[in-house]
Amino acid sequence: MKIFPRLALLFLAGMLVCQQAKAQYLHPKITQKTVTVHSAVILPAKVEITKESAKGSEMMVAESEQASNTVFDAVGQALEQKKINIVKSPFDNQVGMMDDNRKYTLANIQGSYDALLPKLLSKSKDVKKARFSLGDEVMLLNIDKSADVLIFIRGQGRVFTKGKTAFSLLNPFSLDFPFALFTIGIVDARSGEVLAFTKPVAASKVLKDPKSLQKLITKSLKKLPASS
Amino acid sequence: MLVKKRYQACLLALSILLTCLPVSGFTPRAIPSPIQAGVQANETFKFGKVDLDLLEQVNLLDKRFDKEGLVYHDADLDAYLDRVGKTVMAEKQLENVDWRFHVLRDPTLNAFALPNGSIYVNTGLLALLDDEGQLAGVLAHEMTHVARRHTYLQNRSIRKKVLAINILNTIGAWNPISGAAGAAIDLIANVSPFILALSIFGYSRDMEKEADLEGVKSLTAAGYAPEEMVNSLKLLQKDIEGEQLNSFYSDHPKLQDRVNYVGNSISSTASKMSAEQLRDARAEYLTQMEKIDRHDIELAINNGRFRTAVFVSQKLVDFHPDSSENTYYLAEAYRGLGPRAAELTSKELTGGAKKKAAKNRRKRTLEEEEAELMKTPAGQQAWKTNQEKAEQLYLRALDLSRFNSVAHRGLGMLYEKVGKKDEAAMEYGKYLELAPNAMDSERFRRRIVAIKGI
Repeated sequence: MKIFPRLALLFLAGMLVCQQAKAQYLHPKITQKTVTVHSAVILPAKVEITKESAKGSEMMVAESEQASNTVFDAVGQALEQKKINIVKSPFDNQVGMMDDNRKYTLANIQGSYDALLPKLLSKSKDVKKARFSLGDEVMLLNIDKSADVLIFIRGQGRVFTKGKTAFSLLNPFSLDFPFALFTIGIVDARSGEVLAFTKPVAASKVLKDPKSLQKLITKSLKKLPASS
Repeated sequence: MLVKKRYQACLLALSILLTCLPVSGFTPRAIPSPIQAGVQANETFKFGKVDLDLLEQVNLLDKRFDKEGLVYHDADLDAYLDRVGKTVMAEKQLENVDWRFHVLRDPTLNAFALPNGSIYVNTGLLALLDDEGQLAGVLAHEMTHVARRHTYLQNRSIRKKVLAINILNTIGAWNPISGAAGAAIDLIANVSPFILALSIFGYSRDMEKEADLEGVKSLTAAGYAPEEMVNSLKLLQKDIEGEQLNSFYSDHPKLQDRVNYVGNSISSTASKMSAEQLRDARAEYLTQMEKIDRHDIELAINNGRFRTAVFVSQKLVDFHPDSSENTYYLAEAYRGLGPRAAELTSKELTGGAKKKAAKNRRKRTLEEEEAELMKTPAGQQAWKTNQEKAEQLYLRALDLSRFNSVAHRGLGMLYEKVGKKDEAAMEYGKYLELAPNAMDSERFRRRIVAIKGI
């Protein structure tokens, strides 16, 4: 391919990423204010980070777990800024110690959300049409009755080694960059309807910079009305 | 241009493959574990830094599966898997391997091995198998992957090839030579990565074949009938959900090929089970698996695999026709089916139809799929038949045991769906009476309130 079309493609990709960083989709119940979120339970986040080297990808299991906790905290702070009360989740930091039945229930609900996620990602705008729901099975989680919503957090990030960075610099047209993509789904704790969905994207360096991460997450929840 | 796109797709596929490698776990002990007689080890393998890094990651992954509630715990079942697994093991010690057998809460048909010796068998596969010999065949196959160090070897191979792909990619991007020589360099740079990527999949298929053939040997050495390996492969061909697509980038050889070469490897004089022995073995296995089968049915329903749920629960009802619990699960499966037919037609099992169905699954939610089907006469007929069947089965489950609280719950959900709201509220009420502290009690209290419009 000639240089000019490649640069145009690069520019377009950059534009898309910037656009996506702002993408936030709200259910009509939220936009019409028939539902206001006062309190939330944040479910354990799942962020997967892979190390990309010149020789391929490698898992980063421990780092992924650490990143999950960081993003979990960042989302909690962003919601608190909106005066949304974070209800202590029965799953906080003790997933490993839960009894099997509770662990299975959480895994099932997280699995249902994961099954819906590809559709949420590809047709995010349909959240505005009230298309997506997990059903009232979410009540099986038996969370505090005062909680209005459940927060599902997913993310994936690619961290480049020096070798991979060198290759991507030598061949920038491969459009192969380190990035971090998060998705935050806000789900009605009783009906299971997806009330809000956001998908902030950034360069993967945010994974090492909690302040930037916080800023990114806060910005991604900008449209969500604050609790009065 | 086209080749370049394909090669970039290959690169992406490789990245995914590496991330999802049937990972092998790491036990931080270098002390060899006491084991095996059947599965033959790779004697020449020496651990390098790359392998130890992978081992460490995989060991963490092992713990994460458990932490995230993906592993099913049942002391009896764990002991059973351990016994069967150890039967097909060789009496040899393997460095950095600690054999552990786990059940993964997943209704799909799969099993995989981590290189630290953790073998995971999905609930879906356990529910499909007919007897212990078939389970031993699955375990022998997976254990061969571990003993032959397949994950490490594949990881090493992929790393070399990805590096070569990256270099070729860069050369292709900045090729300064014009004319025929330049075109030749472009061609090599674009085509070679594609060939390299293909060779990785070929390598993987060889390993799968080795695991199949070595698995048969281990099975025979452990005293099981080797034909059980063929039988387990034949069961995989059932394709209850119409999901088996012939993918070009498949790491397993085609199932029919596997059935053929494994069948050919079995000596005609090999021991075979009589019909009576087979029946006994099946009954023994189903007794052992009844609990996990029920758990699998729940998972299958949650995952929209209703035909699988019908298949497994029918198997349980055939085995124990007077079990209220098994009858309840069959009722649940039929209720879940909704407007779907219990079995796919031969037309729906053609490659084109399966691809179309897979595309629709990616696009539509289960509710949307049901709404589409309900627009067709066949869908409406199936819905009517399935709901009637489900009602009969719930009532039978309650006849068999009037204390089966969940049968009341299921019946209530069925009535609510067909618009019999008063009956639904009554059944929910009975459920809550029998199980006032159930985990989902609040859910059904709310449903009663909604139905009565309080």
